[in-house]
Amino acid sequence: MEDKASRTGKIYITIVFLLLYIPIVYLILYSFSKGTTMTNFQGFSLKHYGELFADKRMLAIFLNTILIALLSSVCSTIIGTMGALAVHNAKRRHERETLLSLNSILLVSPDVIIGASFLIFFTALKLPLGFWSVLLSHIAFEIPIVLLLVLPRLDEMSPSMTNAAMDLGASPSQILSKIVLPYIQPGIIAGFFMAITYSLDDFAVTFFVTGNGFTTLSVEIYSRARQGISLEINALAGIMFIFSLILVGVYYLIETHNTGNGAKKSIVEVTDR
Amino acid sequence: MSKTIVELKNVYKKYDDGFTALKNISFKLQEGEFYTLLGPSGCGKTTILQSIAGFTEVTSGQVLFDGKKINDIPANKRQLNTVFQDYALFPNMNVFDNVAFGLVVHNAKKDEIQTRVHDALKMVQLEQYANREISELSGGQQQRIAIARAIVNRPKVLLLDEPLSALDAKLRKDMQYELRELQQNLGITFLFVTHDQEEALAMSDEIFVMNKGEILQKGSPVDIYDEPINHFVADFIGESNIVQGKMVADYQVAFLGHQFECSDAGMRPNEPVEVVIRPEDLVITTPEKGKLQVKVDTQLFRGDYYEILAYDKAGNEWLIHSTNASTDDAIVGLTFGPDDMHIMRYNETEAKFNHRLESYED
Ligand SMILES: Nc1ncnc2c1ncn2[C@@H]1O[C@H](COP(=O)(O)OP(=O)(O)OP(=O)(O)O)[C@@H](O)[C@H]1O
Ligand SMILES: [Mg+2]
Repeated sequence: MEDKASRTGKIYITIVFLLLYIPIVYLILYSFSKGTTMTNFQGFSLKHYGELFADKRMLAIFLNTILIALLSSVCSTIIGTMGALAVHNAKRRHERETLLSLNSILLVSPDVIIGASFLIFFTALKLPLGFWSVLLSHIAFEIPIVLLLVLPRLDEMSPSMTNAAMDLGASPSQILSKIVLPYIQPGIIAGFFMAITYSLDDFAVTFFVTGNGFTTLSVEIYSRARQGISLEINALAGIMFIFSLILVGVYYLIETHNTGNGAKKSIVEVTDR
Repeated sequence: MSKTIVELKNVYKKYDDGFTALKNISFKLQEGEFYTLLGPSGCGKTTILQSIAGFTEVTSGQVLFDGKKINDIPANKRQLNTVFQDYALFPNMNVFDNVAFGLVVHNAKKDEIQTRVHDALKMVQLEQYANREISELSGGQQQRIAIARAIVNRPKVLLLDEPLSALDAKLRKDMQYELRELQQNLGITFLFVTHDQEEALAMSDEIFVMNKGEILQKGSPVDIYDEPINHFVADFIGESNIVQGKMVADYQVAFLGHQFECSDAGMRPNEPVEVVIRPEDLVITTPEKGKLQVKVDTQLFRGDYYEILAYDKAGNEWLIHSTNASTDDAIVGLTFGPDDMHIMRYNETEAKFNHRLESYED
């Protein structure tokens, strides 16, 4: 019984993953095709990759996208973590609940609405649309995600731990840097990577707030796809896929590094005695 | 006469929701003594420790340390340390770093940190565990690390919030001895919190018995055991038989239709009182020789004595500790001496109680 159930489970999982990955694999496979359409595979070639790397505009957009993703997630991780600390330290219950619901509203409201509201906001303030408007809006929609990932770690921390640090003479900044931040670090890292993912992913918000001179991959691919897809896009998909694999790998490495023993840094540099 | 190191003067604590957790708490702690706060769950023991340590602000009253008012001094500037009920060790640091924390935040020199951490670990007999992770320690070891961490700053006062409650019975007993010895070796003041009366009696120089945010009685373990101020204290500290009676005159008390000679005085004639007799002070004899006659109901073997439950004719329950077994349903006599009885007045304040005892005891 047990065995049968677990075998069915395995088959089910395999099918689900196959279904999820087949389109991506299919897409990437055709990036190696000699032909120019995805109707039939015409022998191996790297020519689409060649085209892609010759396409200066595409490369610039690729770098822009990565730059936006990294910058926005660094900023949103810092702001989101501070926000989580503020919610956690909120003295009154309703204060905390108000802050949390405001956060959740941002998280659940459709991207289109958020994008449109940013557009109205930026034009009202007469801010030019472009790099900065995209960066700011990415930071803004990533903050709630970071906050939501950091807060549970904070709430899980026993209050007597900060009391103990204070009791031993630590100042508030020492408590933050030596006790609280190391403790919530896994949440912060998860938040950072989530923020990168959301930033790379985003189409709707970016679509609203990009100006003439600036665009990101998702928006560019969208506008090119409307004119008929070229296999250069497939090559790009291949590169993006590898990029996300690297991201996952890095995240995994950091995670295991942190939970493994011996990786902890001593607060006193004299542990060998 | 040693010096007062901590003093609470008329301290009240009212929480935001309007609940008064501490009512008019006043006491003094002398240097080098072992004090215990004893009381049932929720009576305000932790709240007292927190107001001394500085984790909570008192609503009114004064907290004094070494003669100076410290109400407004933040916890990280107060020169006393705490051992927490859940130990609150830092999981991201190993044993050495946990113990070193108090020195590191005070910017101590490396070699000083080295020797003092070593000394502190030696005090709790865990020198060889310096490089262990916290998750690799047993409960008892974690508990000792929490103590080592708290004594590394050499505080004058150590506050301990039920530090033994998470340990099993055997380890708990061992730790009671160790803590007491540690306190004597260090020569610092311990304020120890527990709701276990045996633990309090075994370890303390002085016990403060609390209930519902008030201190009911302060005194040495012997005083509190032998002369509890009221029904609550008598019942909470050890096991006791409490019956209602009447103080006929000084040194004469009547209960259950008989009049007995006792060793208490200073009350109004014919004042209604409660009489306490401890189970180990009752001696079983024949019904004729007994001052009271009771019928044995059940008995339990407790290892070094039998615990016998009996009822008198009026239906009062009597608990007797006896080295010999009795027979179920047998009618037996109970004897006790004048000193085995302790008389308690209703609603007597601690000040009046102490004053009355002094008036006839020498
Ligand atoms: N933040 C708070 N707000 C309101 N009431 C509180 C708060 N903290 C504690 N109390 C109440 O104050 C009373 C005393 O609490 P305290 O923690 O001092 O009890 P305790 O004697 O240490 O009990 P225990 O033996 O269970 O630890 C309790 O009734 C508790 O419910
Ligand atoms: Mg408590």
